[in-house]
Amino acid sequence: MDRQKRNLLLNGVGLILLGGVLFLFSRYGSDYHIRILNNMAIFITLAVSYNLINGICGILHLGPNAFVAIGAYTAALLTMSPMEKQLNFIIQPLIWPFSAVQAPFLLSLLAGGVMATVFAFLISFPVFRVRGDYLAIVTLGFGEVIRVLCNALQGVTNGPLGLKGLSPFTNLWWSWGVAVVTVLLITRLINSSYGLAMKAIRDDETAARAMGVDPFRHLLLAFLISAFFSGVAGGLLAHLITTISPSLFTFFLTFNLLIMIVVGGLGSTTGAVLGAMLFAWGGEALRIVESPMNLGLFTIPGIPGMRMVIFSVILMVVIIFVRRGIMGQKELSWGWIFDRNPR
Amino acid sequence: MGTFFQADRLVMQFGGLTAVNEFSMTLQPGELVGLIGPNGAGKTTVFNMITGAYTPTSGDVLWQEEKITRLPVQLITARGIARTFQNIRLFNDLTVLENVMVSMHHKIRSRFWEAMLGFSRYREERRRMYEESMDYLQEMGLAHLAEEKASSLAYGQQRRLEIARALATRPRLLLLDEPAAGMNPLETMELAEMVRGLRQKYGLTIFLIEHDMKFVMGLCERIKVLDYGITIAEGTPAEIQKNPDVIKAYLGEQKNA
Amino acid sequence: MTSTILLQQLINGISLGSLYGLVAIGYTMVYGILRLINFAHGDLLMFAAYIAIYAAALLALPWYLSFPLAVIATGLLGILLDRAAYKPLRNAPRISLLISAIGASFLLENLALVFIGGVPKAFPRPEIFDRVIPILGLRIQVLTLYTPVVTLVLLFGLLYIVFHTKVGKAMRAASKDFETTRLMGINLDRIISITFLLGSMLAAAGGIMWAMKYPQVNPFMGVFPGLKAFIAAVLGGIGNIVGAVLGGFLLGLGEILIVALVPEMAQYRDAFAFVILILVLLFRPTGIMGEPIIDKS
Repeated sequence: MDRQKRNLLLNGVGLILLGGVLFLFSRYGSDYHIRILNNMAIFITLAVSYNLINGICGILHLGPNAFVAIGAYTAALLTMSPMEKQLNFIIQPLIWPFSAVQAPFLLSLLAGGVMATVFAFLISFPVFRVRGDYLAIVTLGFGEVIRVLCNALQGVTNGPLGLKGLSPFTNLWWSWGVAVVTVLLITRLINSSYGLAMKAIRDDETAARAMGVDPFRHLLLAFLISAFFSGVAGGLLAHLITTISPSLFTFFLTFNLLIMIVVGGLGSTTGAVLGAMLFAWGGEALRIVESPMNLGLFTIPGIPGMRMVIFSVILMVVIIFVRRGIMGQKELSWGWIFDRNPR
Repeated sequence: MGTFFQADRLVMQFGGLTAVNEFSMTLQPGELVGLIGPNGAGKTTVFNMITGAYTPTSGDVLWQEEKITRLPVQLITARGIARTFQNIRLFNDLTVLENVMVSMHHKIRSRFWEAMLGFSRYREERRRMYEESMDYLQEMGLAHLAEEKASSLAYGQQRRLEIARALATRPRLLLLDEPAAGMNPLETMELAEMVRGLRQKYGLTIFLIEHDMKFVMGLCERIKVLDYGITIAEGTPAEIQKNPDVIKAYLGEQKNA
Repeated sequence: MTSTILLQQLINGISLGSLYGLVAIGYTMVYGILRLINFAHGDLLMFAAYIAIYAAALLALPWYLSFPLAVIATGLLGILLDRAAYKPLRNAPRISLLISAIGASFLLENLALVFIGGVPKAFPRPEIFDRVIPILGLRIQVLTLYTPVVTLVLLFGLLYIVFHTKVGKAMRAASKDFETTRLMGINLDRIISITFLLGSMLAAAGGIMWAMKYPQVNPFMGVFPGLKAFIAAVLGGIGNIVGAVLGGFLLGLGEILIVALVPEMAQYRDAFAFVILILVLLFRPTGIMGEPIIDKS
């Protein structure tokens, strides 16, 4: 059996196994477990698309929160019925055409992705004129601009009040379905010669250009694809927690994604997946430190901020002492497991 | 047929400093020409102007009837001028094979979605890229190292990988920036053989910078000498060796060293 | 709009701008040497304000002792920050350094949240800064007038150090060519520490005046002044100390005036600085006073 057929088969088996696990959880899992699993899938989608820019292209993009926000608001505005929208927008009415349209969930998710992509395209010119720290601060700036706009454009976003009462469409099948598609497509891209060109830009942009690689085209490609999947994930997130407001999409969200991909290993999709899963699980587990602890005789009050202290320390320790994270730039693949000389 | 390659009075100034002054030359198809001169004479700056890394302060580069002076680097590469770097600049996190495959990417016809969705056109192109890359590695004696990381290669191997990578862009003019630097005499001799072979096999025109006089004199048909950014001599190796200005420039350097 | 209100706003803008300028100096000095945006720089400003509060409350120090104490302590904290978060990464890829900086920033903010709490603390403003004096028919708080004066005095002090002392010479050398400076036998770690010390002390001075101006001190108060000060540094030409202060003045004036002239823009005020940043990077990436950078390949 040749490798290609074997890998296809193994992928199929893996997917069926994942499906089985999800089925069992959706039947017998507690709400708590299902919430963590949903978070995991959405974080995986976000981290893998974020890693495409930061890990594969090697540029420090600090504005994925903008993509997620745009995806979330777009999808939410599309799935809500005109009636619900009227109830939500009490300070200032929702502007046409958002006030009239309604779309099915899948279409709304895709629209969220497309809107995020359009936004990414619009900002790409100023963003990719600079590199390094400057690029970081410009993307952070665009992230902030979107947050400011979410607060200010009350006729579209309902301002600081946000949107409430979204239908909880996101379930395990949606969230994991999107995660699987994202991982497969982005992995394919990274393994293609387009991905090679991106990594070449990461390693040495001057040399890459001298070998005929157009940096702008490839960085833009990565940026747009990343924005699309982040936007879709934003739509999923909105319909998971059913209430969105601008405070959900601050730099804080970007920081969390950064932790996931750094801990997993910058440049590794496998690492991004692992990082996202650890974060979803660890984030919940660490809630203990912020909630009051009852030790029988006395109670320790919860300490707000403690979780973030732990996360920040983890991020710094990883970046300073184990820079390669869990996976380095390596990938876990069938070839890596079964072949002595992987290709 | 008009000019194949011409550099026309190229000037490069950094701030008030003139790094290269009025550099002119023409190349005929198939020529093998050397550019020599003491350290800091502006040799690499000439390469940087030809390949578009620097925009010359004045002057023009003509390539097959076209003015390419202000084109971005990657478009000049796409038109058939490739280079190697003096201070080796490989893609260190990629494998040897991948380093070469990067150079073939700019000729790809499949779009990114065909690659993402695994269309057969892309798979066919990918297979060809792989095979052709392996050919170039074979050519430079690196095929057995294809799956190694580029950064793990020995110095001489890295220099040869630089050449393989440049070849893979399918150039008609190849610029080699000190290809023999850091090599031992045996490696240098092998390299000279390789360069001759490459010119023959791929019908290349080669323009190279080198400090190893034996290498340059034995290999090049024509040599240009640069000192403080100014062309002080041009001719066959025999003529250059006898030229008093050249001897003075090099003696001066030795005295200072 | 009457000319008196405009004048009032001009003075407010200069006052705000001089605060941005003070903080921007630290960014520009660190960037000049390490080529790093010290994300945690803004958070030093918050620490300075807290230290001043506690020095006054717990040690019962008068302001002329508690303020210098806060400035010195913050300077030392800046050195500590470099030693802990940046020094181990001197030879690491730039992206790692910046990620560490972001981590450090979040760590400082949340440490403050854990140990001090998220409830804003009132900053005890010494009475002498409260006085209001009439100028040209305006009633202006002396604090508003002192801020730019303090900024200029500190700026000239710093310029003296940078241009007329041995340490300053070494700092300038390091920002021109890091490697050569190291080869010349200059103790770079010491120079970097001094850079962090000076930059952090200036940020602390800015933080204390900021806290007097907006007397609500909370763990996240340094974020926006920090970001805007960085933008001021870029606007002035990163690496250029005078440029940083100039950029600060321009940004502060711009922010105040745009809100004064077009009140509807008030809710977009926080986005204004980023728009300026993007415009500068698009049209004059080296800033007002910066020199063009040549990338030698």
